Amino acid sequence: MKPPALHSPWQQARVQLYQRPLALAALTVLLAVVAVAVVGPLLSSYDFATPSWDEIYQAPSLRHWLGTDALGRDQLVRVLWGCRISLLVGVAASLVSVAIGVLWGATAGYAGGATDSMMMRFVDILYTVPFIPLVVVMTVLFGRNFLLVFVAIGAVSWLDIARIVRGQTLSLKQREFIEAARALGVRTPTMIVRHLVPNLIGVVIIYATLTVPTVILFEAFLSFLGLGVHAPLASLGSLVSDGADHLQSQPYLLTAPAVLLALIIACFSYLGDGLRDALDPRTHR
Amino acid sequence: MLRFLIRRLLIALPTMLLIATLAFGLLHATPGGPFDSAKRIAPAIQRSIEAKYHLNEPLWRQYGRYLGDLAHGDLGPSFQYRDTSVNELIRQGLPVDALIGSLAMTFAIVLGGFFGIIAAVRRGSAWDHIPMFFAALGIAVPVFVIGPLLILLFAIQLHWLPAGDWEPGAVRFLILPVISLGFPYAAYIARMTRSEMIDVLGSPFIRTAWAKGLPKRTILLRHALRPVLTPLVSFLGPAFAGVLTGSIIIESVFGLPGIGRYFVTGAINRDYTLVVGITVLYGALIIGFNLVTDMCYAWLDPRVRLHT
Amino acid sequence: MRALPRALLLLTLIDFASCSGESAPTASTIRVGTALAADQSLARTLDTMPHSLDPALVTDSDGSRVIIDLFEGLTANAPDGSIIPGIASSWEVSPDGRAWTFHLRPGARWSNGDALTAADFIYAWRHQVDPKTGSENAQELTPIVNATEILSGHAAPEALGVEAPDPYTIHIALTVPTPYLLDLLADAFMMPLPRAALERYGDDWTRPEHMVCSGPFMLKELVIGNRITLVKNPNYWAADTVHLQRVTYYPLDRATQPSRFMAGDVQYTSFFSPQQYRWLKSQLGDQVQVGPYLGIQMLAFNMLEPPFAGNRDLRLALSMAVDRQILSDKVRQGVFPPAYAMTPPLPGFQEPLPDWASWSDERRHAEARRLYAAAGYSASHPLKVELVYGTEPTTRDMMDALAAMWRVNLGAQVEPYNEEFGVMLQDLALHKAKLFWSGWTAGYPDPYTFEQLYKSGYAQNFGAYSEPHFDALLAAASIEPDNSKRYRLLEQSETLLNAEAPYIPLLYYSTLHLIKPYVKGVPRNTMDIDGSRYIYILEHEGH
Repeated sequence: MKPPALHSPWQQARVQLYQRPLALAALTVLLAVVAVAVVGPLLSSYDFATPSWDEIYQAPSLRHWLGTDALGRDQLVRVLWGCRISLLVGVAASLVSVAIGVLWGATAGYAGGATDSMMMRFVDILYTVPFIPLVVVMTVLFGRNFLLVFVAIGAVSWLDIARIVRGQTLSLKQREFIEAARALGVRTPTMIVRHLVPNLIGVVIIYATLTVPTVILFEAFLSFLGLGVHAPLASLGSLVSDGADHLQSQPYLLTAPAVLLALIIACFSYLGDGLRDALDPRTHR
Repeated sequence: MLRFLIRRLLIALPTMLLIATLAFGLLHATPGGPFDSAKRIAPAIQRSIEAKYHLNEPLWRQYGRYLGDLAHGDLGPSFQYRDTSVNELIRQGLPVDALIGSLAMTFAIVLGGFFGIIAAVRRGSAWDHIPMFFAALGIAVPVFVIGPLLILLFAIQLHWLPAGDWEPGAVRFLILPVISLGFPYAAYIARMTRSEMIDVLGSPFIRTAWAKGLPKRTILLRHALRPVLTPLVSFLGPAFAGVLTGSIIIESVFGLPGIGRYFVTGAINRDYTLVVGITVLYGALIIGFNLVTDMCYAWLDPRVRLHT
Repeated sequence: MRALPRALLLLTLIDFASCSGESAPTASTIRVGTALAADQSLARTLDTMPHSLDPALVTDSDGSRVIIDLFEGLTANAPDGSIIPGIASSWEVSPDGRAWTFHLRPGARWSNGDALTAADFIYAWRHQVDPKTGSENAQELTPIVNATEILSGHAAPEALGVEAPDPYTIHIALTVPTPYLLDLLADAFMMPLPRAALERYGDDWTRPEHMVCSGPFMLKELVIGNRITLVKNPNYWAADTVHLQRVTYYPLDRATQPSRFMAGDVQYTSFFSPQQYRWLKSQLGDQVQVGPYLGIQMLAFNMLEPPFAGNRDLRLALSMAVDRQILSDKVRQGVFPPAYAMTPPLPGFQEPLPDWASWSDERRHAEARRLYAAAGYSASHPLKVELVYGTEPTTRDMMDALAAMWRVNLGAQVEPYNEEFGVMLQDLALHKAKLFWSGWTAGYPDPYTFEQLYKSGYAQNFGAYSEPHFDALLAAASIEPDNSKRYRLLEQSETLLNAEAPYIPLLYYSTLHLIKPYVKGVPRNTMDIDGSRYIYILEHEGH
């Protein structure tokens, strides 16, 4: 008789994930969206910047599957480009945000006392900083740089995660296994990274996936203020914002970007749920 | 508990000072001033305006003057609305935001909490999938789409509700703004409640209670709810403050006289006193709510020892 | 036979030099039998919340709009925009155009019943020009004797060249003949001020409970960010010709105005988006009103640095390569007419157009390419420059369209770059932008108000265009008392501008309003002065 195969936690997770069809479906849809966003514009005969004066504000047709916009540009190509930009910004800024937030929150929660107080007060202060002037100053200081968008969004979005993680850490700290590890003499940095963080993964993943839509929408707001993507490029966020202005007159301009935006975000959420279920040891039955 | 409270309040004062300083500094560092305009202004008049608002003084002196006024609760004159003071603007605008904000949060907690719990308890069923789908939608669809959509449906097509405007005390002006503002938060809360509830329901002490034969409702309400509330409460703290200072989009979509719009137009017009004043207010609210939040942590999770 | 001399007398009175008419109220004439609504209340919109309702401090057009309902000055605007007597019932001017005398009507009163006299105007203008008041409009009074000295702090406000020999007469002494003086006097910042109220309440005098007005309406309520409510002023001298009992102004975002209009919350909007024109027209028909407006949208060049300084060929090439007809018809749905020169159409002014304005597209494009090459650019060495504009979604579409046109027609790579408005103003003041979006609207119906933008040293001359010959023509025009000679000079200066091309005219603005079919008497003029005085509501059902 063969001994039972030993699976690493990640292998176990993968097995768990395969048992959750919704999460798998979400992952598949996301990958499909990414594929279409990457390949689609290459296949189309239209580009996202060239106006076509006689085709302004056309409803969807065989020529233009999603209709045309204010300058007669093919909406389908623009939406696909928008996907590219939004996904790029969303994922990149979320990663930055999560990294900062988790480290900050876990350190604060674990350290406790004056350090915790100081670190969380800093978070409180950042919450209240008026972000428009902040971003304007940064634009002026760094010039026009797309990277700036990530930095600005990352700088403002890690706060929630830090707070949540700190709260969870406060609770976790009192748990037996932490006491045990401490009794065994595990040093603080190792404690944080090896023991605390993995137990925070569930909450962090949910928050990471919740950060993606926040980030994408924040980018739309920045674009609206003139600090995000520069025309003629557009992100899903700015396309939705424009479409909302024409809600009554050209509803088809809103539908596609809004649906895609919602789809991307829903998929991230379901995927996050699935991953959380798969990785969090406590929910295994 | 009392020592904890006092300690926190003592820390709050320098924090507020830091907030005021940071906001003040940032605004003055931003290019452009409040009286730059496309019109030309005679130098003598420019000087006079600057003297009136003390803009010609060195920055440290303006700062000192501002702090002095702040200590008396005077947030200064508005640079944009030249007949009004910041205190006056906040006095007029804050009640609107407070009312709509608190109603929206209540709506969010009730709706989100209810569906989050049910989704967790009946996991995998229609009660789980359908509300969570709407929750994903609520997070994904931006406020500036929800608002106009609701107006389109209820005000323009059906004429059931007004498209905007505001009269103190009139309920019909509250409905659409509260729903538009509260729905995304309801979505967050639903998802979070569900995930936390699932966590808790799988934990040993719940299984013990279940094995002991306690009725489902008791388990749910008495035992499971508390640990779920911890992350919820820590989310609600900053969310409350954000909602209270007004969602600028809600205010502009529905034409509501709140302070969120002042904040953004103030930043654009470099209305130093208004923006710093609202920031200080925001700061005070955050600190206040954080205090309440942390006290709730302790009450909810006895394992957390409050370091005093 | 006795009627004839009377008619002749009336005809001569339509002369610019003097005007003396009866104090007949010029209310809109309503046909007998028209059914008026019982509730004469109007709900209308503003684009922004006015920063102040104090005539001395008003800075924005929305503030002016409300002030014109609350106050009346010496002169006023008729619905068609022409000047009619206001508080002054008649006036004369000296042959050299520098001394004006105004006669006030004796029955005029403030809203609190006090008599409105010349002293109120003298007080207001001195207050306006006093640097301590900090009025941003004080510059407009520079034609008045001593105004410049007072503004620079070298003279006291009492030295202003205005005096009131008796309570119902005002003398104004000018440094240069100012043909647009009557228009100026109807403006929001030239209104009389109630001295007692200002002295008693200071900055608070504009609160509804303290405010005292001289116009058709009084201030009832002001909720910042939400609404401004006016009610009819019974003490207005022409109160019996004012129909509306109540006017409520709602400051609303431009994007939401059409939906509030369609919901019936407002009956008259100050704006709608040109890009929605066709759709709005299909839904609302005649309720969508478009009219000519004295304003221009254009781009301006930085004349101090390369690539545009000293390179007229390049500037003309860019200007010619713009397909204005497409911008007008397609991008703006026919709402804004194309502009080939600075000044919008004005009666009596022969707008000089560049000859290429009437060429075919092919010919114009070919010439543009030729000039582009002559300027030293080609496919292998294209022009690369940024086009700076203030952030706004509708402007962005224009910029994209222009960039595409230059790419296709010339091979130039112009990149639109948007900046937050405050940052852009600073950049322009420091002359950092090479090519930038600009616009200008008339202060009064006269070509001078447009052309002065390119005078050397003019504050908004952000491109720093400076041409002594042009300045000389403008200076000559400003002291020329004969209006038709003046117009000829201004035509010459504009021809010069067209040839030098320090700017690219794009489109003229239009007035854009949505008006419910039962709202009548709305003023329609090229300055978009649309006070509520003449408006009335017909009996109607529903919204």
